[in-house]
Amino acid sequence: MQKRQKRFEVLEQRAVNKDGFIKEWDEVGLVAMDSPYDPKPGLKIENGKVVEMDGIPCAEFDMIDTFIANHCIDVNVAAEAMAIDSLEFAKKLVDINVSGAEIKRLVPGLTPAKILDVLKKMNVVELMMAMQKLRCRKTPANQAHITNVKDTPALLAADAAEGSYRGFQELETTVGIARYAPMNAIALLIGGQVGCRGTLTQCAVEEAMELQMGMKGLTAYAETVSVYGTDQVFVDGDDTPWSKAFLASAYASRGIKMRFTSGTGSEVQMGYANKKSMLYLEIKCIMITKGAGVQGLQNGSISCIGVPGAVPGGIRAVLAENVATVLLDLEVASGNDQTFTHSPIRNTARMLMQFLPGTDYVFSGYSGVPNYDNMFAGSTHDSDDFDDMLVLQRDLQCDMALRPVTEEQIIAVRNKAARAMQAVFQEVGFPAITDEEVEAATYAHGSKDMPDRNQPEDLRAIEEFLKSGKTGLDIVRALHKHGFQDVAESVLGMLKQKVSGDYLHTSAIVDENFNVKSAINDRNDYMGPGTGYRLEGERWELLKNIPQAISPEDI
Amino acid sequence: MKLTEEMLRQIITEVVGQMAGGAAAPASAAAVDTDKPLDFIEKGPAQAGSNPKEVVIAVPPGFGTTPTKTIIDIPHSVVLAEVAAGIEEEGLTARFVRNYQTADVAFLAHSAAQLSGSGVGIGILSRGTSVIHQKDLAPLQNLELFPQAPLVEAETFRAIGKNAAKYAKGENPNPVPVKNDPMARPRYQGLAALLHNKEVQFLDPQKKILEVVQG
Repeated sequence: MQKRQKRFEVLEQRAVNKDGFIKEWDEVGLVAMDSPYDPKPGLKIENGKVVEMDGIPCAEFDMIDTFIANHCIDVNVAAEAMAIDSLEFAKKLVDINVSGAEIKRLVPGLTPAKILDVLKKMNVVELMMAMQKLRCRKTPANQAHITNVKDTPALLAADAAEGSYRGFQELETTVGIARYAPMNAIALLIGGQVGCRGTLTQCAVEEAMELQMGMKGLTAYAETVSVYGTDQVFVDGDDTPWSKAFLASAYASRGIKMRFTSGTGSEVQMGYANKKSMLYLEIKCIMITKGAGVQGLQNGSISCIGVPGAVPGGIRAVLAENVATVLLDLEVASGNDQTFTHSPIRNTARMLMQFLPGTDYVFSGYSGVPNYDNMFAGSTHDSDDFDDMLVLQRDLQCDMALRPVTEEQIIAVRNKAARAMQAVFQEVGFPAITDEEVEAATYAHGSKDMPDRNQPEDLRAIEEFLKSGKTGLDIVRALHKHGFQDVAESVLGMLKQKVSGDYLHTSAIVDENFNVKSAINDRNDYMGPGTGYRLEGERWELLKNIPQAISPEDI
Repeated sequence: MKLTEEMLRQIITEVVGQMAGGAAAPASAAAVDTDKPLDFIEKGPAQAGSNPKEVVIAVPPGFGTTPTKTIIDIPHSVVLAEVAAGIEEEGLTARFVRNYQTADVAFLAHSAAQLSGSGVGIGILSRGTSVIHQKDLAPLQNLELFPQAPLVEAETFRAIGKNAAKYAKGENPNPVPVKNDPMARPRYQGLAALLHNKEVQFLDPQKKILEVVQG
């Protein structure tokens, strides 16, 4: 081209054109939800056993097929459910006169290909309708990522406190350097309770360490227990569906809440999609989760979002996988947790798919820190977008579980969390958090405002902490000794949850009075206008009143 | 955006520009033919080493031939030279193996650590994703992880080699500074999936792990 058209020159510079887009490649599974290689639905049952599923006889089942056939498919309802035409089934999902309970009675009788076939009949608005009706907990909630690139503890505690104060019921951290895990977990445990009692915290790292931290009481739940849709990817991770089920039972036996994680794109990202579409493989992951008896799942592509995000219909498939999760009556932590685009327009459009219908956790999680500090490699939205989210809630009268705050309130909780962390460090033998660090963490935008710590000394102290056998109770004791009685009580309250076990129910969150709210006592009963979760009354009054709104009396 | 040649060229220019900006960058991608295959000679099955002064580096089968450079176009010959230089600066030696069994960076690095006389190994995927591992850790643990291939630059590879050697000597070094770019995924993940699907096509469980030397 010798002469450029000026509009095209402008378009070329737009953020969206920095994104990577890939054409479909069916042969390796680079396709969202409609591969010619996806199997056709079908199920044969003899003597109460699945003998053929989606065209594959049981003699040819791979390990995932075997697990799903034996542990997920409900043979008692299968004949009835499989006989329903996929289009009719899809209509039931959006029909306000068909209850969620009736649908969830039938779904366990469906095969992976049948669930795929039903979801393929639905557009994104219909999928959102299904989510609104079928998610397990009535009240939507939200999760935040709290991390920083320096793994600096006072800032982690301060950010955790701000996150829970703003309304995030769950906080998730991870590490820049793996060996920092226990220290980061403690920062969230303390900071989370300072901001709001009952906040659930986790630290996503290697699975054995993650379980160990849960058992020590440094975390309240776990989420990063990954499952995959093809045998080879499972084997590459040194796992099987049975080993993951075993790990799940290890958590359950210690009274620790947990959910699995999966997502479209992971199999093709790891090179073994067996020519199947991303959504078909993800449905298998969801069925493995159900079969393992786990209460919930984090999905919505998660860390592979750049893959479905790069192919046609990918973001629709991501919503469809969230819907498949609630169809199987599982808690859904619905993604929106990783950057997938340079374009703010694409970014928000993708998030509306979960925000508008509401899910158990709309984000999993929202970046409670600036994205440069987000060690999950960035989330769709970050701490700089808080006010946009509050306005979106107010514009649409739609709840993503955040609340308006003032600068004074945030300074106060950040400072308290950093000081509590300083006290605990002194007691458990970690290298001191200086007053300078407390001050910096209180007022920081992010880790760029924090002084550097001596990392080798931190890491050595963490190693000793792990060897010492200290637990969450030592944290409680340290807080109490240094005058943080209320925080000590809250941390103890979280430890007690593991004894009572009520928060092991599906979609459980813990409120500020340590009451558990789950799919059992806060069941989603949506059946059209006037039912289900409504943003109204006291809560709506709270969300209406953002500080920047001008009041008529003030003029 | 489709990955056009023009865009690749732009990325290369940016990367080379960044590298030129860092005075310490010891090797320049500009000086090397990035398409030239690595001259690797396979020497038969890799043996567990007994030399406590070695660090083993494991690469997947396609490394150096298909492709010949990382996701930000650092030639694989430069990658290996930098890692080896980092190790040698600490007075230790580098030994290379090609693992035909896995293209998973954690297992790749873990296999290197198992073979290493010092118990410390490094795994490097063709696109640049890297791990420093120790033989007594669980496969999915690590000493240091460099998960974002577009941020692993030539000098990072030297620092990886240097730190691996320090761990091998029983030291507790400052970890290589962690980098994070939230926009690496939107730009590169689709491409990374393409590259990885090519990478796994070269796996061959019959061949296991072979000792390699550069010709």
